Amino acid sequence: MPEMDPTDHDIAELGPKIKDIDDEAELEEMLALEEGGEGRDPVVTLIEDRLQKVSGDDEGSDPASIDLTESTIADIANMIRGIDDVEVLQDVLEREKEGKNRKGAKSRIEKKIDDLQENDEEAEIEYAPPEERYPELDHPTNDKQYVEGTVDGEYRDMWVYCETQQGALIDVSREMLGKARELMDGYNEAYDESETVVAVLVGDEVADLAEECLAYGADRVVYHEDERLDRFRHKPYTEIFCHMCRDWGPGWRDYHEPRYTLFPATNNGRDLSALVQGELDSGLASDCSGLYIEAADISNPAKTGTPGESRTFERVLHMKRPDFSGFEYSTILCIDKPHRDFHPQGASVIPGSFEIPEADAEAEGEVFEHDTDLPEEWFHIEVTDYDQLEDGVDLAGNEVVVALGRGIGEQPTKGMELGLELVDVFEEADLGLSRGVITASYEFDTHVEEYVTEERQVGESGQVVEPELYIAAGISGAIQHKVGMDESDTIVAINTDPDAEIRDFSDYYIEGDLFEVLPRLTEALKEGELSRVVAGVDDD
Amino acid sequence: MTDEYEHFEAVVVGAGPGGAAAAATLAEQGVETLVLERGVDAGSKNVSGGLIYAEKSASYTIDSVFDGFREEASERPVSEYYIHNLAGGKVKTLDLSTIHHHDTEWCDAVLRRKMDSWLAERVHEKCSETGGGLLTDVRVNGLLREDGDIVGVTCDEIDPIRADVILAADGVNSELAREAGLMDWDDPDEWFQGVKAVVDMDPDAIDERFGVDPDDGVAHLFSGDLFEGVRGGGFLYTNEDSLSIGTVFHLDSLAERRAEPHELLDALLTHPLLDRWLDGEYEEREYAAKLVPDSKKAANPSPHRGRLLLVGDAAGQMQAQGPIIKGMNHAVTAGGLAAEAFIEARTRGDTDVAGDLYERKLVDEGVMAKLRPRRYRMTRRLSENRLATKVAGCLVDSLLGRTGMKLLDGVVERAFNSPFLLGMVPDTRTSYVTVPRVLGETLGERIEAENDIEPPDLADRIGGLTYDVGDPHIELLDESHEASGTAVTACPVSAEDFGGGCYRSETVERNGDTRQVVSLDTQPCVECGTCAVVADTHWEHPAGGNGVEFRDG
Repeated sequence: MPEMDPTDHDIAELGPKIKDIDDEAELEEMLALEEGGEGRDPVVTLIEDRLQKVSGDDEGSDPASIDLTESTIADIANMIRGIDDVEVLQDVLEREKEGKNRKGAKSRIEKKIDDLQENDEEAEIEYAPPEERYPELDHPTNDKQYVEGTVDGEYRDMWVYCETQQGALIDVSREMLGKARELMDGYNEAYDESETVVAVLVGDEVADLAEECLAYGADRVVYHEDERLDRFRHKPYTEIFCHMCRDWGPGWRDYHEPRYTLFPATNNGRDLSALVQGELDSGLASDCSGLYIEAADISNPAKTGTPGESRTFERVLHMKRPDFSGFEYSTILCIDKPHRDFHPQGASVIPGSFEIPEADAEAEGEVFEHDTDLPEEWFHIEVTDYDQLEDGVDLAGNEVVVALGRGIGEQPTKGMELGLELVDVFEEADLGLSRGVITASYEFDTHVEEYVTEERQVGESGQVVEPELYIAAGISGAIQHKVGMDESDTIVAINTDPDAEIRDFSDYYIEGDLFEVLPRLTEALKEGELSRVVAGVDDD
Repeated sequence: MTDEYEHFEAVVVGAGPGGAAAAATLAEQGVETLVLERGVDAGSKNVSGGLIYAEKSASYTIDSVFDGFREEASERPVSEYYIHNLAGGKVKTLDLSTIHHHDTEWCDAVLRRKMDSWLAERVHEKCSETGGGLLTDVRVNGLLREDGDIVGVTCDEIDPIRADVILAADGVNSELAREAGLMDWDDPDEWFQGVKAVVDMDPDAIDERFGVDPDDGVAHLFSGDLFEGVRGGGFLYTNEDSLSIGTVFHLDSLAERRAEPHELLDALLTHPLLDRWLDGEYEEREYAAKLVPDSKKAANPSPHRGRLLLVGDAAGQMQAQGPIIKGMNHAVTAGGLAAEAFIEARTRGDTDVAGDLYERKLVDEGVMAKLRPRRYRMTRRLSENRLATKVAGCLVDSLLGRTGMKLLDGVVERAFNSPFLLGMVPDTRTSYVTVPRVLGETLGERIEAENDIEPPDLADRIGGLTYDVGDPHIELLDESHEASGTAVTACPVSAEDFGGGCYRSETVERNGDTRQVVSLDTQPCVECGTCAVVADTHWEHPAGGNGVEFRDG
C-alpha cells in the first residue's frame, strides 16, 4: 500500500506531492490504484511522468533508435521535450508515421518542430523599412532613391578623385593614385580578381592630365570638362562624380557603385568627399593617413544581424586616421549591414601620407570622357571673386644669391640698396637675408622694407640654397645660417671681422666694410671686370 | 558646452620628478590620471644642476615612489662634498660632507633627459591602468574656468580637459601658477639663474682624476673671486661618463652687474683649479640654463587655488641654503603630498578641500620649514641691509677678521657644516664673495697648474642645441634699452656685441634721433625665463614639441 492513495486527492494536491516520491514500486502501486479507481487521465499522466523520471531517462531514450511502437504517447511526449534538433524530430515524426501513426503523437512532435522553427525566426532582427517604423517622421532620406535600394548590390574598383590646381595634378592626387595601385594589386592577387583603379578628373581642360593619371597608377581615367568647372563648385562636382560612378554606363562599368573611393583631404576634397559619400548612401572616414585591405571579424549585431555571433567580412578597406590630434589612431571600417549596404567604402587622405610613386611613362590604360549636359541650375552659385596667394620667394632657383646680414646695421636701408643693386647686375639672382636682419629692430625706408620678409631668410629655419655663387655680406656665419648655404658652389664672404666664422667655409673672403665693398663689386661686374675687385684681396 | 569636454579625475601638468611622483601616487590609488608634457619626450625641457637627494625625514622620496630608480635612472652617487674658496690663485678647500650627509639617505647626480624619460615610462604604465596616461607634445596654455572657478586646463594641441584636480608641476616658469595669481616674475632677487655645461669624459678618466670607484662620485663647489663679484658660485658633479659643470648666480646681482652668464661659466671652466680634472681636454656635450626659485623668498606657503595645486618649482619649492641646493627632492615630496591630499579629499567625498589638505601637509611633514626657515626670515632683515653688509664685509676683510679666520681654521669648516648656521646665511656679498675670498687668501694654498682649455663660444653653444622653431613665444613689450636692455646680458644665449642671440642691442635712427633699442629673435631660446624677470616681455612657453630640446638636461 503506498503512502498516498491518489484516489483520495485532487490533482492539484497530487502535483507537488508526487515530486517527493522516488520509489518506483510505490508509483506503480499508485498508478494501479488510480487506474483501478476513477482513472483520471491527468493523474495517470502525472504518475506516469514521475515514473519515467524515477526509472531513469537513459533507458531506451535515444530518440534516433528507440522503437516508437513500444512507446506510449506520453513516452514520446517526454522524450521529445529534450530534443532541440529539428532534423532529429523530423526523423522521429517519419518513423511514427510509418509505425503506429498515432494522431496524438504526431501532433506533439509537429508542435515541437513548429516551436523550434518559430524561435529561430525570432532570433533574427525583424526588418521594417524606416517609413514603417517611424511614420511620424518626415524622413530626411526620403528623397534619396537609393537609400533602400542598395542591398546586396554589386561593387567593383577603386575610384580616386584627382584634384587639380591651375591645370596640374596636386601632389596628393599622385600620392593617392600610387597608393590605390598598390592596394588594388594586392587585392586582385589576394581575391583572384581583376578590379581596377579609376581616376576621376573634373574641371576645365583636364583631359591632358589623363595620361599623367595613368602614369601614376590608374587603369582607367574618366574626365569631365566644362569651362564652368574651372573652379571647384559643390553641386556640379558632386553630381558629376556620382553620375560617373553610379548612373553612367560605359560597358565596363556594369556594377552598382564603386567598391572603394578615395578623395584628398584638402579643403575642396573634404567637401566633395562628404557630399559624394552622402549621395551614394555610404559613410566616410575623413582625414586618413593609412589604408589597407583585409578581412575583419565583426561581432556587432547591427552588422552581423545575429546577436552573439561573429562574422568575417572580406575585402574591408581599413582606414587609419589620427585622433586626439595624432596622439592615437583609430581604424575606421565601413561595413554592410542586413538590409542596407554601405558602399563605396570611402576615405579622404591627408596630403603627404603616402609617397608619390615613380611615374611610369609606358603605362597604358583607357581614357573616357564623361560627356553629359550639365543643367544650368547646378551653377546658380557663382564664384564672383578669388585671390591667388603669392607664390612667395623661391631663392633656390637662382644662379646667384646675394645675402645680407647684421653688418648692414649701421645703415640698414643703404645696405639693402647696395645688396639689391648687386642683385640687378646678375641675370638670375635674388636677395637673401640672415635671420638676424629679419628679427632686428632696424627701421627700413619703405622702398626696401618689402624685401625684409621671412621668405628671404636663408638658414635652418628658412630656405636652403645651393647657387653657383653665394655672396654673404656682413654675415658672421652661425651654424644655423651655414646649413642653409654651405652647399653653394662658390661662397664669397665680405666681413669686417677676420675671425668671423663664415671665413672658415668661404671660398673667397674679403675683409672689409660691405658699404665699401658692395658698390665696388657692383661697378666691377657692370664693367665685366670682377678680377679687378678680387685682385688685391686675399684668396683664402 | 564644457560638459562635452573630456574629463579625468586628475590632470598633472608636466612630467618632471614632481609631476611624476604625484601622478604615480594618484594612479596607485586608482585615481584616473592624465599627465600632459610639452616636450617631445619627458626631460627634453628639463635642466637641473644635477643632484637629487633622498632625505631621511621626507615622507616621499624618488626611490620610494619609483622602484629601481637609482639603478636605472641616475648617474653616480655623491659620497664626498667639497667647497673650494678661490682667491688670487690660491684655494682653500673645505670638506662639507657632514652637511651633505645630514638627513640624507642617499644623493645621486642625474641628467634629466635620461631620468625624466625613465620616470615617464613608469608613470605612463601606471596611469594607463587607471584609464589615463601620459601625453607628450602637449602644451597646457591656461586654466579652464566655469563661472570663474577653475575646472580644468586648456591646451594648444588638444581640446580643453576637465578635471577634479589639476596638479601644476609645470616648472619654474609655470604659466598656470601665474594665471592663477599664485606666482609672479616680478623680483629678480627671488631667483637664481643656473648655467651648465655637460662635459664628455671617459668613465675611467673620471675614476682616476677624481679618485673615485667606478660606481661612486663626488661633488665640488666653487666660490670666491672668480666671478667678478657677482653673488653666486659654481659646481661640478660626476656623472657616469660626463661631468656637470655649472654656475648659479643671484639674478638680481647678475642683472645689476650686467654680467654675461656664459662668460662666468667660462671663468670657472678655465680656472687653473679645474686643470686637475680636465687635464687639458674639454668636449662640451651640451650647454643649458635654468631659472631657479629661491624658496626662502619665492616658495608660496599656500600653493593652491580652487582645484589647482602647485608642485615643485612651479610653487617655488627650491631650497638653496648656502652651498646646499635641494629642489627635486622637495618636488617629489610635494607631489606625493598633493596626491595624498586629493585622495583623502576624495575619500571624504569633497575633492574641493584637496588644496587645504595639501597646504597643511606641507607644514606637518616639515617641507615648508625646510623651504622657508624661520631663522632666515629673522636674520635677513638685519644682514641683507646694505650698510650692515658693508660693515660685515669690512670687518671680515680687516686684519682682525683675517686673524680671526686663521684662528678659526677648522671652526669655519664646522660652521659651514651646521644646518642651523647655514639656515641663517644671508644672501649678500659677504657670504658669497668676501668670506670665501678671504678664506682663500688667508688660508689657501697656491694653485700651480695652468688650464688652457677652450670652451666653445656662444655661437657654437647655440648651434649645438637642437631646436624646433615654432612661432615666437616671447613678445618684447618694450624694446627700449632702459626697460629691456638687461636681457641682452642676463640672457644665457645673448651677449653684447653678439648678433646671433635672442636679445641684441641695436642703435637705430628714427626721425633723426639715435636710440638704443633691443631686438628679439626667439630662435635660440633655451626657455629659462630670465628675460621674463629682467625685461618687459609677454612670456609663454613654445607650443608642444617646439622649442629647445635638451639631450642631456
